[in-house]
Amino acid sequence: MIPLSHFLIISACLFCIGLYAVLTKKNAIQILIGIELMINAGVLNFVAFGRHDKINGGGQMFALFVIVLAAAGVAVALAIILNVYKHFKTIDSTKIDHLKN
Amino acid sequence: MGGLEFSKLAGFISLLVVFLPFLSFVFIIFGKKKGGENLALFNISLAFILSLSLVYLNWNKAPLHYQLNWFFIGEIEFKAGILLNNLSLLMISLVSGISVLVHIYSRSYMKNDSNIHRYWAYLGLFCFSMLGLSISDNLLLIYLFWELVGFSSYLLIGFWFTKRAASQAAKKAFIMNRIGDIGFLVGIMIIYGQFHTLDIDALFGENGLIISSIIKDNFWVYGTQQIPEIWLTLAGIGFFIGAMAKSAQFPLHTWLPDAMEGPTSVSSLIHAATMVAAGVFLIARVYPIFDPLVLNIMVFIGSFTAFMAATIALTQNDIKRILAYSTISQLGFMVMAMGIGAYTESIFHLTTHAFFKCLLFLAAGSVIHQLHHYRDKLGLDFDYQDIRMMGGLRKSMPLTFIGMCLASAALIGLPFTSGYLSKDAIIISAFEWAETKNGLAQILPYLMVITSWLTVVYICRLLFKVFFAKSKLLTVNQIEEIKDPPKNMSYVLVVLAFFCLFFVFSLHPFSFENSWLWNAFPSSLIQKNDLFHWLIPLVLSFGTVVLSVLSYLLYVKRNNIFKSEQNILYRFSKREWYLNEIYSYVFTSSLEKTSKFSYWFDQKVIDALVLKSASFVRFISSISVLIDKYLIDGLVNAMGSLAKGIGRLAQNFQTGKLQQYLATMLLLVITFFILIYFL
Repeated sequence: MIPLSHFLIISACLFCIGLYAVLTKKNAIQILIGIELMINAGVLNFVAFGRHDKINGGGQMFALFVIVLAAAGVAVALAIILNVYKHFKTIDSTKIDHLKN
Repeated sequence: MGGLEFSKLAGFISLLVVFLPFLSFVFIIFGKKKGGENLALFNISLAFILSLSLVYLNWNKAPLHYQLNWFFIGEIEFKAGILLNNLSLLMISLVSGISVLVHIYSRSYMKNDSNIHRYWAYLGLFCFSMLGLSISDNLLLIYLFWELVGFSSYLLIGFWFTKRAASQAAKKAFIMNRIGDIGFLVGIMIIYGQFHTLDIDALFGENGLIISSIIKDNFWVYGTQQIPEIWLTLAGIGFFIGAMAKSAQFPLHTWLPDAMEGPTSVSSLIHAATMVAAGVFLIARVYPIFDPLVLNIMVFIGSFTAFMAATIALTQNDIKRILAYSTISQLGFMVMAMGIGAYTESIFHLTTHAFFKCLLFLAAGSVIHQLHHYRDKLGLDFDYQDIRMMGGLRKSMPLTFIGMCLASAALIGLPFTSGYLSKDAIIISAFEWAETKNGLAQILPYLMVITSWLTVVYICRLLFKVFFAKSKLLTVNQIEEIKDPPKNMSYVLVVLAFFCLFFVFSLHPFSFENSWLWNAFPSSLIQKNDLFHWLIPLVLSFGTVVLSVLSYLLYVKRNNIFKSEQNILYRFSKREWYLNEIYSYVFTSSLEKTSKFSYWFDQKVIDALVLKSASFVRFISSISVLIDKYLIDGLVNAMGSLAKGIGRLAQNFQTGKLQQYLATMLLLVITFFILIYFL
């Protein structure tokens, strides 16, 4: 049986990688990928702690919800990115510094 | 009633006499330039006729006196008015009479002068001030006219002001006269301080304030008013200094010879006949003020001046300068006569002198005039006023010669002339005065006799050199071409020559006591001595004749005897006793030194102080600049740059980069957790 700490380490690693991507990447899509990585690190934690839950499958249930919500969030984010691209002709997040015009 | 109307008329006429010449001055100066001579001559002639009518109406009668309020200073009232007594009547008729003659003379003499209208205007101004001086009834008014006389004399001396010598002479005359004016002013102030009035009649008249004031215990007492006695003496000296400057007495005489730079007609009117008489006139007007000390000073100054000027006149070569010194000498006689109390004799001599000296000048003027024209015709170059250049003019200018001879005879006091009467009167009085005194005073009459004989020598020298001796410059034929001057000038000479004779003044040729003029004034208090009255004229006349013959031999037969004798006495006289040099050394150069010193002081001390304090201020201000720049401004700037720095710092947070914000946030959160966890 794999101990809980391994999951947590992996999850922490994933979170950090995601965080790094969010902080350093210029491309909006890459930032989005970083966010997804961080969400999934959270999801992994849910699943890992779910074994110790009094209610069976509670963690998994939350994980499923989170995945769905993340998917929806990605859809929205991608739509925003598309619109941003249309407007600014770029998705470089450093160059997008105007709210309107 | 009738008397009142008459006196009003006389007052009106005398005002007219004074203001007619002033009118010609105003019209000529501010009006048209052409035809000034006619206006001037008409006005002055009218003034002369009117003053003669005044003499006719009022001679030997009670003095007429009118006053009007002039101005107030606080409660004090000043009056202006006219005082017509014998003295002022004599003066106005003398002044206007001689002015008329000089006006006529000047028509020819000054012809073709380009600024002739100024000449007529100035003459008008002069006559106005001189006539005003004569009839004024109070000292302040006299002082005003006195100044005006000085000023118009200044204008006339400097008439040819483009000549440097003339403008210098005018300045000299003016400054010398100013010295006298100060004395006059001091006298007026003392009189005013004592009596609170300047009215001549009230002060100096019979039973006047001066006579009724007394000297008691070294105090000069008048009513309740008393001041130390010295003030009386000082007032007398003040008035005398004023008279000294105008009448060219010893220390202040040097302006008169220099004043000969003016036109000869002016010299004759102003510097021989009228203006220089103003000093003697002033003495006569304020006569009661002089105490014995001042009278003695007057005797000393007058006799010394007479003697000194006569010795100087011996060696001068400029014909006008000789006459100028002769004038000074004769004025010395008059002042001396005033000093010994021979008031009437002095006035008498003043009158006769005015005529014969005027004639001498005008005759000299016609010689100068004719020689000048002849010189210009020939294109020669010689000094036409130098008697060494003249000679032999007796035949070519007979009228001038006769005039000059008569005037000279009057000057040296030959019998049958006016000068004989007046001058001998003075010398007789001097002898009579000396009788009553001891010591030095005994010398005085003999000094006067010697001066009188010196007069003979210098005037004979002039006469013989100009009319008898052989000319060094011109040939006999050339001299014959010179003629008597134009009619205007000749007629004037004839009229004046008439006035040099005895019968104008006294029907008895040998006795001045029979003269109408002498009897018109109070006779002197000196003890009479009959011996003198026939002995002195005899001795004087004898000496005069002898000396004339000697001079004839000296100057005509061997006419260069003095030239070889360049001894000390000759030089002393020729250089006018070195007085000009002494004055220029003592006063002018010491003044120059003083002003140089004060210039140096100003430059080196005052300016240096100013400069030093300036640089001190500059130093202080440079310090304050530093403080301002580095301390005050530094503080302000420091505040500014602090705000700026904070701004910069805050600005750095606002990059607009989301990722940076995020990273910062993360850092803070992590820090927060680290702190919570470990502390």
